[in-house]
Amino acid sequence: MTVTRALDGRLIMRFAGGLTIRLADVVALSGLSLVILLAAAASLTVGSTPVGMADAIGILWHGPDASDLSFAVWDVRLPRILMGILVGASVALTGAMLQSLAQNPLADPGLLGLSQGSMTALLVIFVFLPGLPQGWLPLAALAGGLAVGVLLVILVGRANAGGMAILLIGIAVETSLSSVTSILLLYTPPEVSLALADWMAGSLFRASWQSLATFTPWFALGVPAILFLGRALRSYDLGDQMAMALGETLSFSKPVILVTAVLLTSAAVSAVGPLAFLGVMAPHLANFISPASGRARLLLSAAVGALLVVCADILTRGLAGELPLPTGLAIVILGVPMFITTLRLRSARRMRGQ
Amino acid sequence: MKKFILVLVALLLAGQAFAEMRQVVDDAGRSVEIPTKPQRIIALHEALLALPLIELGLDVVGVYGRADDGGSQIDVDFIRSVFGDDPALRIAGIGPIGNIDLEKVRALKPDLIIGMGQQQAQVQALSAVAPVYLQATMAGGESGFSIETRLAELLGRQDVFAAKQAGYLARVAEVRGRLPAETRGKTYLAVIVFDQVSAVRDVSGAVQAIRDLGFTPYDWSSRVTSEATPGRGFAVPLSSEEFARLDPDVLIVMNSYLSPDQSPDKIRARLAAIAPGWNRFMRAAREDNIIFLNSAEVATPTIQSALHTLTAFEKWAGQ
Repeated sequence: MTVTRALDGRLIMRFAGGLTIRLADVVALSGLSLVILLAAAASLTVGSTPVGMADAIGILWHGPDASDLSFAVWDVRLPRILMGILVGASVALTGAMLQSLAQNPLADPGLLGLSQGSMTALLVIFVFLPGLPQGWLPLAALAGGLAVGVLLVILVGRANAGGMAILLIGIAVETSLSSVTSILLLYTPPEVSLALADWMAGSLFRASWQSLATFTPWFALGVPAILFLGRALRSYDLGDQMAMALGETLSFSKPVILVTAVLLTSAAVSAVGPLAFLGVMAPHLANFISPASGRARLLLSAAVGALLVVCADILTRGLAGELPLPTGLAIVILGVPMFITTLRLRSARRMRGQ
Repeated sequence: MKKFILVLVALLLAGQAFAEMRQVVDDAGRSVEIPTKPQRIIALHEALLALPLIELGLDVVGVYGRADDGGSQIDVDFIRSVFGDDPALRIAGIGPIGNIDLEKVRALKPDLIIGMGQQQAQVQALSAVAPVYLQATMAGGESGFSIETRLAELLGRQDVFAAKQAGYLARVAEVRGRLPAETRGKTYLAVIVFDQVSAVRDVSGAVQAIRDLGFTPYDWSSRVTSEATPGRGFAVPLSSEEFARLDPDVLIVMNSYLSPDQSPDKIRARLAAIAPGWNRFMRAAREDNIIFLNSAEVATPTIQSALHTLTAFEKWAGQ
């Protein structure tokens, strides 16, 4: 590994195999990782069972036992924290990837209808086939997300669509599916709606070692694929024509990116429900922390997404008993003020630059 | 020798503990081992499960949808509406709706958790604390007190249920004697007014009481095009036009249980907004054969809800 100075004067780290990353991005990533670790440690102490930091570390060190404290740390909080990190990273990665693909800062799995596809499929199951074994749910979510993904690929492919067209087609699909969801909910008895409320708002309540074991393979499959696509995504950031000029085969990479996005989105939705707006916010916040592109942008977005979900979970559990706050809503409460502030700061920065 | 006796006692106690558990198959088809005589139950639905369990004299220590102080997290407090403001029934919550607090669930030390068939998604997490039994509450076969009857059979409380039912039937006979003779065998339609008018299905103490009083269900399902699959929830939405076409002898109207005002005037005003002119086109309305019920009191599948219904009918007969 060597550290050299790039043409723009910034320091970059060059690894064996040609991988390069800006030193500023490495510093930002390390800083974010440290903050995630601190937030996760703090999260271990938040909940209705009083557990101090020293107790939490001791319980982790000695392994699980039959005590209430061990139950709180090992069976409730740790799986929630880990699931929060993985799901937050997945949704943020997917958002960053789709924003590059659509060349639009608004694109995210929710806006393109992928989350809605998974959610509608699960809602159909919950309403019409409530007795279906739980093991089928991730597959149903995947089928719903894939159906939307395939539809997008067909529509985008036929229209030879550019960034804005992808987004508009996605919005149309999302709106149609939202209508289906609304109809299903309209004819759903209030008792069932109540049972669905936790999942539809995005909740880490069901995070367990078992659900982590179900989600992790999708994460392990999707994240390397996305990182592999990092170079292609950097080309897409410059526009379709420039991407083609740089050697990207659009007819191959666009469907691959969409399918990867579907895989991660569907797995995330079936694990915790839809986490609205996270896919839009996280890449923007990451970009504010360190304006990067390609793989570095993806990794920074993933770290910000993970951090937001862990912090939202702290808020959710800290306020439990005072305020019914699903994790999805807590993410919005935490993230939106930061998002708006960064947009304003960035705009002010741009004005000063002019 | 001392050690031998201690081991023997321990084995006997362990044997007894094992004997107190039994294997059952719940309504979701899951095989689950539950205590024969549960001492501390958590119910995952207040109206459909917690209230029947309380009525059976079981100790419900936690209910989904209630706050830490025992108040309701939603706008309607079914426990207080049906059983009155009893300090002994200030049952703890298990975390906010949408985010069950497993630590709180464990702190309540339940030996059984009872949920609805639709709550399979929550089973895995809750099973880490206590056995979870899922009971179908909206299946096609449910009506009247059937949820409570089945819970009584499951938990060995048939005698408690039978005693309460005997008292209820005596009250039915008493109220029936006070009803005008011409109401016997008349058809009834029960509706609840949410944002639209909905026909009330069979799962409630109200419907049980109305039928036990001798009224016949009006066949509304063959006269409407609304989705009318049996066994799906408390009520089925009707369009204003469909509502106008129905012609029962007696109309029983409830306001939404989320509405704080259950007065007849308020219900009439809401109905007039949803189905303008309803009191002119519906025969039951023209003949003033309308009975107003407080849905928060009568909508639960309990004998106490049926008793509230009988009181309302008695009052109507008196008028």
